[in-house]
Amino acid sequence: MSKSVISNETELSILKDITFDVVAGETVAIVGTSGAGKSTLMALLAGLDIVSSGEIELLGQPLSQLNDEQRAQIRSESIGFVFQSFLLIPSLSAVENVTLPAILRGEGEDIEKAKQLLASVGLTGRETHLPAQLSGGEQQRVALARAFMTQPKILFADEPTGNLDEHTAENIIELLFEMNRDHGTTLVLITHDTNLAKRCDRTLSIHAGQLQEV
Amino acid sequence: MDKHKMASGRKMVIRWSWREIWQGQLWPVMAALTLIIACVVALSALAIRVEKVMTDHGRSMIAADLVFSSANPTPELILTEAEQLGLTKSEQIRFQTMAFSDSSMQLVSVKAVQSSYPLRGELILIGSNAVSKGSLQPGELWIAERLFSLLGIKIGDQLAIGDLTLKVSGKIASEPELTYNPFRTMPSVFIHQADLGKTGAVQLGSRVQYRTFFKGDDSTLKLLQKVHPLQTGERWISEGNQGRTADLIIKAKQYLSLTILMVILMAAVTLVLTCQHYADSRTNTVAMLKSMGAGRRWLRQWLLSQVGLMFVAAIVLGSLIGLGLEALLRLPLAGILPDQLPGYGWQPFVFGSAVALLIGLPALGIPLIRLLDTSAIAVLQAQTVKPSKKGLWLIAAPAIAFLLIYGANTLVWMVFGGLIALFVVLASASYVLLHLLSKAKWGPAMSLALSRIKRSAKSSMMQLAALSGSLMLVAVIWLVRTDLLSDWQETLPADAPNVFAINIAPTEQQAYLKQLDDNQIQRSSAYPIIRGRLTEINGENAKRSADNGNDHINALHRELNFTWVTELPDDNPVVAGQWTDQKGVSIEQSLAADLGIKIGDKLGFMVNGQAFSVPVNSIREVEWQSMKPNFYLIFTPDVVKELPATWLVSFRINDQKLPFLNQLGRNYPTVSLLDLRSMGGKLQTILGQITWSLTVLAGVGVLSGLLLIFTLLRLSLNQRQREITLYRTLGASRKRISQTLWSEYGVMAIAAGFVAVAGAELIVFSLLKWGFKLDPSLHPLMWFTLPFLALLVVFASLMSVIKGLLKPLK
Repeated sequence: MSKSVISNETELSILKDITFDVVAGETVAIVGTSGAGKSTLMALLAGLDIVSSGEIELLGQPLSQLNDEQRAQIRSESIGFVFQSFLLIPSLSAVENVTLPAILRGEGEDIEKAKQLLASVGLTGRETHLPAQLSGGEQQRVALARAFMTQPKILFADEPTGNLDEHTAENIIELLFEMNRDHGTTLVLITHDTNLAKRCDRTLSIHAGQLQEV
Repeated sequence: MDKHKMASGRKMVIRWSWREIWQGQLWPVMAALTLIIACVVALSALAIRVEKVMTDHGRSMIAADLVFSSANPTPELILTEAEQLGLTKSEQIRFQTMAFSDSSMQLVSVKAVQSSYPLRGELILIGSNAVSKGSLQPGELWIAERLFSLLGIKIGDQLAIGDLTLKVSGKIASEPELTYNPFRTMPSVFIHQADLGKTGAVQLGSRVQYRTFFKGDDSTLKLLQKVHPLQTGERWISEGNQGRTADLIIKAKQYLSLTILMVILMAAVTLVLTCQHYADSRTNTVAMLKSMGAGRRWLRQWLLSQVGLMFVAAIVLGSLIGLGLEALLRLPLAGILPDQLPGYGWQPFVFGSAVALLIGLPALGIPLIRLLDTSAIAVLQAQTVKPSKKGLWLIAAPAIAFLLIYGANTLVWMVFGGLIALFVVLASASYVLLHLLSKAKWGPAMSLALSRIKRSAKSSMMQLAALSGSLMLVAVIWLVRTDLLSDWQETLPADAPNVFAINIAPTEQQAYLKQLDDNQIQRSSAYPIIRGRLTEINGENAKRSADNGNDHINALHRELNFTWVTELPDDNPVVAGQWTDQKGVSIEQSLAADLGIKIGDKLGFMVNGQAFSVPVNSIREVEWQSMKPNFYLIFTPDVVKELPATWLVSFRINDQKLPFLNQLGRNYPTVSLLDLRSMGGKLQTILGQITWSLTVLAGVGVLSGLLLIFTLLRLSLNQRQREITLYRTLGASRKRISQTLWSEYGVMAIAAGFVAVAGAELIVFSLLKWGFKLDPSLHPLMWFTLPFLALLVVFASLMSVIKGLLKPLK
C-alpha cells in the first residue's frame, strides 16, 4: 500500500508500496527518524486514516472498503491505544478514564475490572485521582490500564515513553510487555529507540517512505 | 448485555458532562449563557414592572383602565357586554352649569358620579374637621377649593346646582381626570348620580358628556372595545391615548425594548466567541475518543448531554441571578415604585430561556457539528481543515424568531441596518488607518504590535469588530437615554408655568401684568382670547367639507380660542408658508393636516354672530405638552383686533409666592386663576420616575456591555499564551512583551473607540429622527469619552491577565 498527501498543491508521497504481515500474538516495532512516516503508518494500520492505494486487512477486514463508522466499530471492539502524550480526560478520575473504552462500546462502567487493571499497573489507592494529580509515569500507567480494558486483540503504542524520564520509561516498558504477554495481545510499537525495538519479536524500519525488515 | 452496567455507563457520561462544565472549557460558554439569561430575565422583569407602574399611573389619571366617552348615554350593548365579561364599571355624567351661593355665582364643571368612582387613581375629599374620604354618597356635594373664595362660602353652607340645593360637604383635595387645557378647566363640583335628576340640568339637547369607567383584564377590555363600532362623538379613552403621559410611556417602552435587544446582541457576540473557543479546545479529546472507537452517534449524545446539562444549569442559575439583579435594580427605584409591586409572572423566565436557546443553537451548534467532523487521525497528527459550511442552517432559528418578533419594528431595523453598513465602512476605514500607522516610524514595541495586528488581519478585524460593536451599542444605549430625557426636560422644564390667569378684562390687562412683573413673577406673554368657530374652508361649509371622513374632528364641533399677535411665539416654528403683518391666519399643523388645509386657503370664521374670512399665511408646529398658552389659530392683528377679547397669561408660582397669588385673586375677583400646581407636580413626579427607570436600565445595559467586553478581551488574551511563551523562549524580555501587548491592545482600543462613536452617532441620529421623532444632535463629549472608556476596559482586562501571561518559564 501507499500513502500520499497534497501539501501546498504538490503531491507528497509518504509511504511507497509497503507490504508486510503481522501475525496474531506477535510484537512488532516500527522504527525510523522523525518525519519518516511512522505515525502515518500506525494511523493507517489502526484505521484512523485510509491508504491512497493498495489495501490493509485488519483482523480479516479490508479497511479501505469500510466507512468511518465501521472502522470505529473495529477499533472499539479489537484495538487498544497508548499515546505519547497519554491523552487522559482531565475531568475524569483514573478509574473513570480506564472504564472509558468499555463505555464507548456501550458496555457500561465496570469499576471492578478497572480497579483490577489499575492494581496490575501498581496504582492501587490512586483510583479517584484526577490526571492532574498524577505524575507523567502514573498517567501513562493509567493509559496502559485503559488500553487493556476491553481485552483488545491488537495494541498500538505510539512512542509510549517519549514524554517520560529514563527510569520511569523503563518501568512503563516492563509493564507494557508484561501486560501484553498476560493478555496475549498483538503489539505494534512505534518508537525511535532501537534498544526498545530490540525487545520486540520483529523490527521494521521506515526510511524515505520505504519499509525494511531489520 | 447487563442492564445495570449500561445504566451505570450513562450515569458516568452525565457525571462527566457535569464536570466538563465546571472543570473543562465549557464554563465560559455557560457564563455567557447565564449572563444572557440573567440580563434578559432582570431587564424584562423590571420592564414589565416599570411598564405596569407607568400604565397604572396613566390609568390613575383617567380614573379607570378604560373609559367610554360620548355625548349620549353609553350604548346598552357595551354595558351588557361589560357585565357578561365580568368587568367592574362606574358611570359619570358631566356638564357645565352655574352654581349659586347666597352672594355669588360661578360657572362650574359638575361631575355626577357613583359611589364606586374612581375605579383607579385617587379621589380625596376633605370634609369638616379635616376628615378625609375617598368616595361620595347621595346627598353630598364636594367642591374645588377655589370655589370657596369665588363663591364666598364655607363648609356647611348651601349651594345651588341648577334646581338642586345641597349643603357643601367639603373640598376636593385631589381628583383623577385632570386636564391640562386651561380653557377647559373649570372648577369641579362632585355630586352623586342619585341626585342628578333633581338638578334638572340634564335635559334633551343639553350639552352633557357621558362617561363609563371600566376596570378589568387587558384582554377582556380589548374584547369590550370590539362590540361597538364608534359613532360620531364617541371615543374610548385609555392611558395610551390620553394626555402627556401617553407619549412618555410609549417612548419609555420603546427604549426598554431597545435596551434589552442591545444587551442580547452584545451577549450573543460573546457567546459565539466562547463557543468557538470551546469547540477548538475539544478537538483533541474528540479525536482521541474516535481513535478508541467512539462512533458519531455516541459522540453526538455525549456532546448533547453536556450542552443539555449546561443549558439547564444556565437557565436555573441565570434566572436566579436575574431575580437578584432585578431586586438590585429596583433599589434606586424604591421611593417611586409602589409598595405592592405588580408581579411579572413567568414571562421573563420564558423569554430569557428562549433567547438563550435561540442564540445558543447556532452559536454552539455550528462549532459542535464541525467538531463531530474531527478526524480520528488528529490524535496523532495535527490536521489543517477548511471550515465546512455544515450547520450554517442553524442560524435560521434566531433569524426567524428575530423577524417574527421585530419584523415590524423600524427602530430595531435601524440599529441592525446601521450595524451592518457601519461594519463594512468602518472596518475598512480602521484597517486603512492601521495600515497608515504602521508606515510611520515607531519604537520596537509599537512596531511589533502593529505588525502583529496586520499579520493576523482576519482575527484582528474580528476582534476590532466585536470590540467596537459592543462599545457602539453601549454608547447608543446611553446617548438615546440622554437625548430622550433632555427632550422631556425641555418640553416640561422644572420652571414651567403652573398658573393660568384667564378672563382678564382689556382695561385691567396692563395693571395685571405690571403687578406680576413688580413681584418678579416669571410669566408668558399675554394673549387676547376671542372665542369663535371655524365655519368655512374656501367658501364651503367646513363641516360639509369635513364630511369626507373628517367628521370626527373635534375642532369643528365647538368654539375655539383665537388670538392675535404681531410676532408668532418663539416655540411655534413655522413649517410652511410665512407669517405676514396683516390679512392672515396661522394654523396648527395637525389641524391643517386633518382638514386638508394648505397655504393660501381661505378660512371663514364666525365670532359673536360676525362672519369674516382670511387666507392661511402659515402652518405652525405647536408643542401641546408644554404648559404654555397654545392656539390652533393665530390671526394677524388687523383681522380680529377690534373684536371684543379677554386676556390670558400664564406664570410660575413657587410656594413662597403663594400669599401673592391669593392677594392677586382678591385684587382681581373677575379674573379666573387656574392653579395647575398639583397637576404640574404630578407630571414632574412621573417624569422623575421614568427618568430614574431609564437611567438604571441604561446603567445596567452599559455595565453588562463593559463586562462582556472585558470577558471577550480576557479570552482573546488567554489564547495568546502559547505565542507569548514562544517569544519568551526565544529570549524576548518581559518588558518588551508587556510593552508590545499594551501597544497592540491600546491601538485597538482607540481605533475601536472612534469606530464605535462614529457608528453610535449615526445610529442615534436615525433612531431619534425617525424612531422617536425627536430632533437629533451631535455628542462631542462622547468622541473623547468612548475611546477613553475603551482604553480603560482594555487596560483593565490586560492588567487582570498579564501577570499570568508573563509568568516565568519552567
